[in-house]
Amino acid sequence: MTTVALGLVKEVAVAARAPRFLYLHWPFGHALGEPGNVVQQRTVLHDMLSMAVSAPRPGLVIDLPYRWRREKYLSVVDWEMPSQAVASALSLPKQSSERSIAA
Amino acid sequence: MRAAVGRKGNHERERNNQVRSLYKLLGSWITLSSTGGEIISEHGGPVRTRAGRLNELWARWFTGSRVGAAVGHWASRIISLPQLRRLATGEIPWTPLRKPISDCTVVLLTTGGVHLRTDRPFNLNGDSTFRVIPKNAQPEDLAISHQAYDRTDALRDINLVFPIERLRELEAEHVIGRLAEDNYGFGLMGSAKKLMPSIKEVARRISESGVDLALLVPA
Repeated sequence: MTTVALGLVKEVAVAARAPRFLYLHWPFGHALGEPGNVVQQRTVLHDMLSMAVSAPRPGLVIDLPYRWRREKYLSVVDWEMPSQAVASALSLPKQSSERSIAA
Repeated sequence: MRAAVGRKGNHERERNNQVRSLYKLLGSWITLSSTGGEIISEHGGPVRTRAGRLNELWARWFTGSRVGAAVGHWASRIISLPQLRRLATGEIPWTPLRKPISDCTVVLLTTGGVHLRTDRPFNLNGDSTFRVIPKNAQPEDLAISHQAYDRTDALRDINLVFPIERLRELEAEHVIGRLAEDNYGFGLMGSAKKLMPSIKEVARRISESGVDLALLVPA
């Protein structure tokens, strides 16, 4: 079975030596974000699913770049593409929306 | 040579003792005066098991302030790092996904102290057991029994520590194949070793129920 874990303490995430770990610099009790912020919660879940599909090797801990309340979260465009955070951490192709903006 | 090894062993024992007594001290402070077991209803959402007043203050401080968060992180490191270094050795297990996410059965695990409100609450001072949470559980069916984080926000939106509504949506949208019938909640537990029997039992149940992907969410 494939596993993906979220973590709020970086050193613990590293020491746990879990197969796939996403680290968030967020307060305890808020692993998925803020109450009622569905887009934010779905963003984190998209990162977890992307990690399940794309993590290339065991023991990888990815720092998710979200700055708590100062971040603007966008709806996920394509769930089959890796999330932007995971894609850029792993240097994978990005979401099509971002590509078109870049072009 | 042997003397050097002996010294190293002593040093390690001493350090372990220090960590243990520090943990005890922290434990007695953090978990002071719990009234335990009691459940208070709140606004039709999940309910919470009452913790001692001091515990609630501690939890709020850990969660809501910069200094508190730093202390919380420090405590979390002090308590779990030596244990993890002892237990998490050897090769890291690796199972690649063999099918698209949209065909996968996904199970949700949380260490946020979430359980059905009809179930026995977790012991707030440490509990190595687990609770089964069925996939159709609604927020008002759930309770949180945990005192090491501020539960105010998680009680307003259970998805912060147990994103079951979000995963039901993803199932309905065919993003994931399906959400597992049984999902799992754990409470606060300082000793990783004592947790192992529960972890093994949950792992056995999950792998027997044909789950492809497990998502782990902390408090």
